[in-house]
Amino acid sequence: MTPTCPAVDRRTVLSAGAVGAAALTVASSTRADAAERFFRHGVASGDPRPRSVILWTRVTPTEASTPGSGRGPRVTVRWQVARDVAFRRVVSQGRITTGPSRDHTVKVDATGLEPATRYFYRFLYDGVASRTGRTKTAPAPNADHGRLRFGVVSCANWQAGWFSPYRHLANRDDLDLVLHLGDYLYEYAPGEYGYGNAEVDIRPHAPAHEMVNLGDYRQRHAQYKTDPDLQRLHAKYPFVVTWDDHEVTNDQWADGAENHQPAEGDYHERKARAHRAYDEWMPVRMGDGTALGDGTRLFRRLSFGKLAELSMLDLRTYRSEQVKLAATPVPSPDPAISDPSRTITGNRQMEWLKESLQDDRALWKLVGNPVMITPVVFPPLPTEVLAGVHDVTGLYPEDGLPYNADQWDGYTADRHELFEHLRDHGVQNTVFLTGDIHSAWACDLPVDAGTYPASDTVGTEFVCTSVTSNNLKDITGTPARTTSLAVEAGITTVNRHIKYLNFDDHGYSVLDITRERIQMDYFIISDRAQKRATSTRTASWATRVNSQQVQPVQKGIDG
Amino acid sequence: MAHIQEPAGRVGWSVERSRAVCGPRTRPDLSRRSLLTATGAAGATFLFSSALGVPAYAAKGRRRVYVLVVDGCKPGEITSELTPRLASLRHAGRNYPRARSMPVMETIPNHVMMMTGVRPDRSGVPANSIFDRGTGEVRDMDRPTDLVFPTVIERLNRAGFTTGTVLSKEYLYGVFGDRATHRWEPSPVIPVSGHAPDVFTMDAALAMVEELDPNLVFVNLGDVDRMGHSDFTGPNLQLARQLALAETDLQVGRFVDMLKTSGRWRHSAVIVLADHSMDWSLPHQIVNLHSAFEAVPTLAGKVQIADNGGADLLYWTGPRSGRAAAVQKMREVALATAGVLSVHSPASQRLSSLAGDLVVYCRAGWRFSDPEYVDNPIPGNHGHPATEPIPFFIGGGSDRVPRRTSSSRLARTLDVAPTVGALFGLGAPRGGYDGRTLL
Repeated sequence: MTPTCPAVDRRTVLSAGAVGAAALTVASSTRADAAERFFRHGVASGDPRPRSVILWTRVTPTEASTPGSGRGPRVTVRWQVARDVAFRRVVSQGRITTGPSRDHTVKVDATGLEPATRYFYRFLYDGVASRTGRTKTAPAPNADHGRLRFGVVSCANWQAGWFSPYRHLANRDDLDLVLHLGDYLYEYAPGEYGYGNAEVDIRPHAPAHEMVNLGDYRQRHAQYKTDPDLQRLHAKYPFVVTWDDHEVTNDQWADGAENHQPAEGDYHERKARAHRAYDEWMPVRMGDGTALGDGTRLFRRLSFGKLAELSMLDLRTYRSEQVKLAATPVPSPDPAISDPSRTITGNRQMEWLKESLQDDRALWKLVGNPVMITPVVFPPLPTEVLAGVHDVTGLYPEDGLPYNADQWDGYTADRHELFEHLRDHGVQNTVFLTGDIHSAWACDLPVDAGTYPASDTVGTEFVCTSVTSNNLKDITGTPARTTSLAVEAGITTVNRHIKYLNFDDHGYSVLDITRERIQMDYFIISDRAQKRATSTRTASWATRVNSQQVQPVQKGIDG
Repeated sequence: MAHIQEPAGRVGWSVERSRAVCGPRTRPDLSRRSLLTATGAAGATFLFSSALGVPAYAAKGRRRVYVLVVDGCKPGEITSELTPRLASLRHAGRNYPRARSMPVMETIPNHVMMMTGVRPDRSGVPANSIFDRGTGEVRDMDRPTDLVFPTVIERLNRAGFTTGTVLSKEYLYGVFGDRATHRWEPSPVIPVSGHAPDVFTMDAALAMVEELDPNLVFVNLGDVDRMGHSDFTGPNLQLARQLALAETDLQVGRFVDMLKTSGRWRHSAVIVLADHSMDWSLPHQIVNLHSAFEAVPTLAGKVQIADNGGADLLYWTGPRSGRAAAVQKMREVALATAGVLSVHSPASQRLSSLAGDLVVYCRAGWRFSDPEYVDNPIPGNHGHPATEPIPFFIGGGSDRVPRRTSSSRLARTLDVAPTVGALFGLGAPRGGYDGRTLL
């Protein structure tokens, strides 16, 4: 089935509020049409450093050069970075050759830039300029920088709705970057994972089957990058991304996945294909640079002066297989969950993460964390909602056991090692920023959940909800703020370190970082089936510096 | 009102206490000091010892710097609810939320680092407790001669400024000796804790400022730390700790109020920090390295241990020829002991040779008790890395103090002396500081 590509006015480069009407770069409809033809997947930037940033686009030199086709000529694309939107002050530029071997994607590390500075960038092919993107470098390593602001998103399922959260973030003009915590795209075929409990496809995936081969992954990435809201957001802010499971397939681990069957071939080959397409299509450093195949290491640090350092985790590539929780009348975990030989990070990443979490590095130790680390122990719940809770979050296995074996709860030895490291070394102000579970949370991280709040906390966690992927009310088919209220109350009553929980809404978050506190504003959208869904702030939570706790805040970042 | 007394036979109590605390070698040299009685606002009388020949009122210029140490305070404990005066001072001035105590995270070495600006391999004071190879005894580093680097106190005095120390703990009074122009001997001292309660310490600090008005006053408030050490685990501890914090906050409030009502505030910088944090151990989480070493034939009877709560200093006392192998074995045995976090050479921690052959840190929630299991019965300890985070901020009305700002830069106890020195226009000591100026 052919995907429905929405009509996009690609001449609207940036929001008018951002750069003004004069910023529009396309002078004539002819050139606009050419830009639309050559650069139909937009432009993007990512992984900002003080003096460099990744720039990305995909060029379509001929109509036959469709994503995943392996067809089309090798071509050379120019790129430019300028201080001004009219490109009178170009500060960095170059040429790069691309072709079918890399699906005509273009990825460069633009260097020679100044720290904490806003830039405009564009690509040129055959005399035609792409839309203009905007990006910003990170503060200098020793800068005593006062503020950072991130958009925070995860879990965007094309088939479940429109990406309005991306549009609302793109409408803002105050962000330094967008943090995408994974499930940027989904592997499913049309009809497999859609909107609500009827699984309606608001818009079907392309290709019209589960992505398994390299061409499938390339086509699916390409489809997502035709979304106008996502294109606008990419063009406006640098992204810092990590993957969760769906970038390969559901519940992936080092040597397999729940949604990988033998008939789909060798899992490692499939994973390598998925990683290759990700490397081609995402504005991210994998390994030392931007060259394809220069590495598959996604865990990495990004520094923002002395104010913050962001450690992005890869919790899929090195992890042991999830424990399959057996049914039991007593809610107790399978002992294998705590087997110290099992890992969610892998040894190398764990040592690297402990290096990251030292107070001699930065004030705020931020962790881009694909799956939740807060311990979650579920109370008894009505059986009617059990399956729903499990489906949406995986937190409550259908057999009634208390742990979600796919997040850190299923790898308690690694969590203990990390929490003990934080406590033993007196590490302050570690904040986990998390996605994955299609719901919004704010939590303290207790050394011992059983004795909390009498015992210490070692940090905090803020979890953003999904852009579109189904949550509890969608699974149960009940109205928002009905059945979920009982579930939320049950969880927070038993888990006193969990201070805020919203199982019902989709949206995005804005994270504001100062020396005094970090605040997360939780925004929710109206119906994701509507293209023009509205957005409102529903809650704000913060952690004051050195408090190691979250607290509610009445006033949002926007006042 | 204050008046100076010439040294006389009847200085009795003060001198006797000094001898008891410091030992014969550290007896204050009364030949060049006088005792001064000041009457505080509440009518109480305070006894200060002041250097002779220095006019008591000869503060140089209008600039005043006050260093207030809230001993053992954790950074998260200063909140607008529990400690409103401290929180207000922090909010109005410049905060350093990323502040750390330095090895060994104990009271004496960190107070020495504050006043010298150099690490223990230069100051000579690596820990509270060391094994003295000369006397063959474990002892506190509480002698004026233990401190071998010029403090900012002495250097200010030489530059014509006046200084004062108001230190609640007997061993701090001991180690800083008679370096300051004016000093207060802690009194009354609680027998078990060896410190004067904050209300008395603050009475003395107020009297010293109001009557003698030194350019620099260095104050240690010991209650918060002592309530960390001395009480029991469980709710009682938390309650006592909170009461101590609230009480100390009141005392700091009195100090700020005095500065404001007396007109000193606009010329003052008030540096508030802790010397270390605090960690509470469970009764069954005790590390006893002595018994572990005694179980090894090559080590038995040849290792001395100076217990510093969260840190043990290990000293090989066997033949020099066997030292390398013995130290390696000590390291292995310590690392294999439950509750041990890490083992380091003293040089890697920039500790002096007085720190022995190895320094061992425990994990959070543990404590050392050496040589015997009963030797350290107190649950609250520090010295280990878990107790590095400290509050650190600079308030005051001086135009040198930034208003309502904060810095993400690392601030350390050894940054106090460079900062104080810079406020008075004092250059770096010979060889330079190890710390840096924060303003």
